[in-house]
This record gives sequence, structure tokens and C-alpha cells, in this order.
Amino acid sequence: MENIIQIRNITKEFRVPDRRDGLMGSIRDLFSRSYHTLRAVDDISMDIAQGEIIGYLGPNGAGKSTTIKMMTGVLEPTSGEILVNGCAPYRNRTRNAQNIGVVFGQRSQLWWSLPLIESFRLLRDIYMIPDAQYNEMLELYSSLVDIGPLLHKPVRQMSLGQRTLSDILAAFLHDPKIVFLDEPTIGLDVSMKSKIRTLIYELNRKKNTTVILTTHDMGDVDALCERIVIIDHGKMLYDNDIEHLKKYFGAYRTLKLRVKGCLSEQAESIAAELPGCPVTSDDNWISVLVNEDKQKVVSVLSQLQTSYDIRDMQLEEISSEEVIKRIYEGGVS
Amino acid sequence: MKLKRYLALTRAGIIESLQYRIAMIVMVIGNLLYLTLVYFLWKSIYASSGTDIVNGMTFTDTLIYLVLATALFHFMEMYTVWEIGRNIQTGKIVLDLIKPMEYRRYLFWSYSGSFAVQFFTTFLPTFIIVAVLTHGAVPIGINLVWFVISVAIAVTINYSIDFIVGTICLYTESIWGINIMKQVIVLLLSGATIPLAFFPEELHRIVECLPFQSIYNAPLTILLKADPAPAEVLPVIGVQLAWAVVMTAAGCLFWKCSLRQITVNGG
Repeated sequence: MENIIQIRNITKEFRVPDRRDGLMGSIRDLFSRSYHTLRAVDDISMDIAQGEIIGYLGPNGAGKSTTIKMMTGVLEPTSGEILVNGCAPYRNRTRNAQNIGVVFGQRSQLWWSLPLIESFRLLRDIYMIPDAQYNEMLELYSSLVDIGPLLHKPVRQMSLGQRTLSDILAAFLHDPKIVFLDEPTIGLDVSMKSKIRTLIYELNRKKNTTVILTTHDMGDVDALCERIVIIDHGKMLYDNDIEHLKKYFGAYRTLKLRVKGCLSEQAESIAAELPGCPVTSDDNWISVLVNEDKQKVVSVLSQLQTSYDIRDMQLEEISSEEVIKRIYEGGVS
Repeated sequence: MKLKRYLALTRAGIIESLQYRIAMIVMVIGNLLYLTLVYFLWKSIYASSGTDIVNGMTFTDTLIYLVLATALFHFMEMYTVWEIGRNIQTGKIVLDLIKPMEYRRYLFWSYSGSFAVQFFTTFLPTFIIVAVLTHGAVPIGINLVWFVISVAIAVTINYSIDFIVGTICLYTESIWGINIMKQVIVLLLSGATIPLAFFPEELHRIVECLPFQSIYNAPLTILLKADPAPAEVLPVIGVQLAWAVVMTAAGCLFWKCSLRQITVNGG
């Protein structure tokens, strides 16, 4: 497969003023300012193939948006090189714009007081989409989602879910090679989230569009992404598929138990008995995290069975959410 | 077809401004209130001067000039500075920058629709009222054609100035003060609030050398000339054209440098 995006060792530095505190500090800031350099993105390289869906993850302030802004051509890298569809986005911004679509979950590119169909018509003219392609796209849309009631509704009267859905449709309208989705499911209810995931999946499959998805919702990642890239403090921590990530972290499983007696007291004594396994408890379950490379779940279970009256049990794979949380908190070492 | 994408923006702008009925009514009423104020202010200025002609202009001349200047102001005011400033503050500018169009043009054409609407809601009615009330003191003839050409150039100059001031917001990240300052300077030095004939001699000479008088003074002077000879009009339009070219070039250049600034230092 051909690589639609090639990123080679990009770094982005910002010059940030050091602000002083308080009134006197603010007054002094008017006359003299010192700056420090903030490295928002630090030596990142990756290749992205046409048609991939990539989960681009990292805690808040990790440098995700900065990387995306560089790929869209809004920012210029301090050093390194990006090629999107063969050309450098910041030098050919308007040409690059024809190849990309963008959705920012927090903002809309639609015309606020116009019905959705008018926004679509405008985008058709702005991106110079041929009529045949435009009609084909609208047909595809109506086969994927119930778009009828939305088309004639002014965007300002839409619910957040409807608006996000419309924004995603608008981003795909000119059949771009790449679509950047920045937290598209933020603030949406469960059913809308799943609708949007299905829509993204279908559009990716039908149009072979490369999708770069930033999100904090691991549900999005599990539903859509084969490959994830994690960055923190501007550095790349991980770039592979999600299955590898779990293995990479050892064969962790969570053993959930319900035992006779007060759960929190029992949890403490279990923790004392199993020094290698972190134990937590809530109202219903005691959870024991077991690393199967060191100790089998079955042996833990039989050990506990001798001293506790086990009423109920469940076995859970470690969730991607748990994995990501551990990476954010501890880093990969 | 490149033109189609621009006209599409105009069309959307027209539909968009037609959505807000109350806002349109308020604008028409506000316009009328201001005109009444202008009428009584200048009536008393003329009454206290004791003569019928002040600085070579009769009361009717002055009134027609100012009323049409106001109408022209409502027609030309694009609130570009607000728009750019707000887009920078909220970060929406990123969405506009990744449209396959130059930002300067994109913004202009996005606003052109409200131009068209304002022409019909403020300028045209005011013009007709003035023409009727003054019983033909506004000459109607070839001057109207020159006037339209002159206004078109004035719009370009006005937009360029707005765009340059808006670009300054990239650095300051605040809008209010800058915008107010721009508005006061432009309205005063362009002859929109006081006819240039009333300016002291030295100030008048300085203002003649600035771009602002090309925005209001030039088209209005042309409009109020009955049957002007081309030799009278062409120098005025020539000066306007020169300013339009200079200001547009300056605006483009400043924007280009500034955008580099954001793309280098963050945005």
C-alpha cells in the first residue's frame, strides 16, 4: 500500500512568554518579557497508508493537536519533514486543503444559520466538487444515516449529536484522501456515539479514506482503530496495533470475586495474602489484577478458595482503557 | 469555474442575513435615528453661523452629503476586524485556513452577501428618500455610473484597511480597542462624519494625501456633481485606483508575513 502521509523526525517548538504573577508582575511584563522554548512535538516519525484508521492518542497537552495542525498545513514544523500526498502541507496549504477534511468536535465548520443542505451546496462550490460526485455522495449518505430530517434544519437548531454527524458528513463531502477527526464523539450520548462510529467505519470502507482519529474515548479506538499511535510530552511512545499493546504489557487479567463478609475488609486481607497482585474493591466486586506471566489465575483462585467463601466470580481481559491509563501514568519502560 | 465558488459565498451570505428579520428592522430604525440627529445638529450649526453657505456648502448640500455618507457607511461596514479577531480568539480561524481558498478572499466573499442585502435595506431607501425630499438636489445622470465605479473601488480600499487592522489582531489577540480606534480614524479622516470642506486648511491638505478620503469623500463628491466631465472624474478615480492597489498589496503582504509568524510561533 502507498503511504499517503510520511512524517520524518518532525519537531515543533513554540516561544512562550514567561508571565509574572500579580499586578506588579503584569506591569513589569509590559516592559520586559523573557521567553522560554516549549517543545510541543519532539522528533516524531510515522508513515500512514491510504485507507488506514489510526487512533492518535495521548493525554491532554501531549502534542496531538499540534501534530494535526502541521499535517493540515496550518503550522510549519520547526524541523523535519511532512509529506501529505507527496507535497509539504504548509507550503501548499490551499492545494493540500483539497485533499483533507477536518472535524473538530468542539467547533463546527457549517454555516450556523443556514440549513444543512445550503452548507453542503457551499462546500460543493468551494471545493469545486463535480455534480455527479456530489449527488453520489449525498446518496451514499442517505443510505448510511437518516439524513432527510437534517438537511433542511438550520445548524443552530441541531442537537450536538446531529451537528457532529453533519460536520462529519461535511468533512467527507469532497471525497478527501485524509480526514482528521479531533474528538468527534466528545459530549455525545451512547447511541449517538455508536451511530457516529458506524458512520466513520462505513465511510472509511466505502471511500478508502484515511482517518486520523484523536479521542479520549477508548470505545472509539476499540470500535475503529487497527493501529494506534500514542504520544506524550511530544514524544512518540507507541506505534502498533492494539493487540500488541496488551501483550506488551504482560498478560494481565482481572479476577473479580464476590465473597462472604464485608467486601472492603476481605479485600484488605486478600491483598495481604497476594503481595504480587494489586487488589481493589467496590460495592459489588473485589478485583484482583493478575499477571499471568508470573502466576496463573487458576492458582490464585485455588489459593483463595481455601480461606474464603467465594460466592461468585468473573474473569476479565485487561481493557484498552486500562492499558492506556497505565501508559499515560507510568510511561512505557 | 472559479467565479462560481465566490458567488456561492455571496448567495449564502444573502440567505444568512435574511434569516434575521429583527436585526434588519433594528438596522433600518437605527439608521433613521442617526439621520434625524444629523439633521438637527447641522441645522443648528447653520443657524448659529448666520450665513446660508458655510465653507462653500449650503445646508442642503451638507445634509445630502452626510446622509449619503451614513448610508454608504452602513453599506460598506463589514465588521471584518471583529470577525478576524473573534476567529483568532476562538481558534475557528484554523477551519477557515484549511479551506482551499485564500483567507483574504474567502472572508471578503463571505461578507459580500450582507453587502448586497444592506444595499437594498439601507443605501437605496435612504438615497430615494433624500432624492425625493430635496426635490432633485441630487443630480441623476451619468454621475450615477461614475458613482457605482467609485464605490466599488472604495469597498476594496475599505476592506483592505479592515483586513490590515484585523491582521494586527494576530499579534495583540485583543480586538475592541483596535477596532474602535480604526473606526474613529477612518470615519473622521474619510469625511464620513464631517465633510472635508469643513476641515482646517492644513489638515485638509494632509487628509488629501491619505487613503481614507478615497473611501467616502471621493464617491460622494462624484455623486453630488451634476453631469461631470470625464476630465473632472477620472483624476479622482485614478487616485482611488492607486490606493486600492497599494492597500491591497500592503494587506496581502502583511497577512503573508503574519501568517508565517503564527505558523512559526504557534496559533
